[in-house]
Amino acid sequence: MNETALKELLYKLADDKLIIGHRNSEWTGMGPLLEEDIAFSSMAQDKIGQSYALYQMLQGLGEQDPDIVAFMRNADQFHNCIFAELPNGEYDFSLMRHFLFDTAEAIRFDMLTRSAYSPLAELSIKIRAELRYHTLHANTWIKKLGTATEESITRLQTALNEALPYALGIFEESPYEEEIKDSGLFEGEKLLLERWMEQVEQILKDTHLKLPDWSNLKPVTGGRVGRHSEHLQPLLDEMSEVFRSDPGAEW
Amino acid sequence: MKSLDPRVNRLPRVGEEGHPQPKAPLDQFGTFEVFVRPRPDKPFQHEGIVHAPDRELAFVLAKEAFTRRFQCTELAVADTRHVLTSDMTDDDVSIYDKLPEPGTPEGAFMSYEIFHLYRRGKQHVHVGSVMARTPLEAMYEARKQFAPQWVVYNIWAIRTIDIRFTQPEERELWLTLPEKKFRDASDYKAGDKLRLFLEQTQHRKP
Repeated sequence: MNETALKELLYKLADDKLIIGHRNSEWTGMGPLLEEDIAFSSMAQDKIGQSYALYQMLQGLGEQDPDIVAFMRNADQFHNCIFAELPNGEYDFSLMRHFLFDTAEAIRFDMLTRSAYSPLAELSIKIRAELRYHTLHANTWIKKLGTATEESITRLQTALNEALPYALGIFEESPYEEEIKDSGLFEGEKLLLERWMEQVEQILKDTHLKLPDWSNLKPVTGGRVGRHSEHLQPLLDEMSEVFRSDPGAEW
Repeated sequence: MKSLDPRVNRLPRVGEEGHPQPKAPLDQFGTFEVFVRPRPDKPFQHEGIVHAPDRELAFVLAKEAFTRRFQCTELAVADTRHVLTSDMTDDDVSIYDKLPEPGTPEGAFMSYEIFHLYRRGKQHVHVGSVMARTPLEAMYEARKQFAPQWVVYNIWAIRTIDIRFTQPEERELWLTLPEKKFRDASDYKAGDKLRLFLEQTQHRKP
């Protein structure tokens, strides 16, 4: 098994979860209603917990301690998609990102339960179960608000239009894509994209939201190879502020 | 009087002439009752309420509000307006001895879920389901079928079709990452660290 390709895959998975988890956690205390605030915060915490499990797996492969990996790298060393790092905007955008992103995550981690790297396959079973709630939450809200009032439908449609090019950046292929597929680590981004488009169409069919022609969209890529938007470094600075003030502190 | 405290603004106005007005509704979603089954061998018990725009979202929001930390195998929710409740008793008086006669009501038989309150201040516990035409008849039926050994202070009857239960394929919702000690206060040995810190800094005190 190509260890470089495996590590690249794990970093991508973990960084996506850490960054979206941190972004979503910014809603804590500010959610639109108390129950939703709790649910959204809990899911953010799930994602950070999942990133921790993946960083621990990387540590087992000789990488540094999870805290060092999470807090001491600069933006160009992160492999998350740009979609995950975008600012939260209004709740409509955060909810739409949650729906598009977690739909992909649920399919991705279902595929990963069949990974040839058995520690990842085993972890993916647990992560898939947590994601089951995340997609239930996202789908229920999207169906509700996507059919509720003119305002809710218009706002979600605007959020969808803004989010889609970035969402397609989730599926940017790895420099090691062929090795990853050939060694059975992961069935690949192309297959994931196909299934994601089917699932997104399936859910949105029950709403008044309209998907544009997929072929007219230009994916926003670069995140997987460390070329990020201007939004990532400020996020990292804030996230790691306390840790960096005393990296040796014992918590 | 206009106050920054919303409770003050909700107080009735005193000394003003005018006709009685309907009480203004609160600007918030309605409530749903949440029932949790901690283990397969335990009954559902009432855990609290959530606010939600509909029953499906109530189920979604109740999952994180009530079953995140503790063991859970199933969750169920019902609109508060669909919970039919008996009167409340006290001391050694069972509410079953105080129920009025149900008579012979008209209508079709439906399945009702019955919940008992065995101790004041505790939660209602699910005891089973009965077929009846009215909630009162359901409570009468429950007494016959379940013959409670303990004093029951209050009974809830909810039509089974008014409850959103966990679907079998949704049980996976609770099979999550196990190592989450960081969510429990017990994982933070703040007391030990504080003592150590105080000992270390003791000699520096003026």
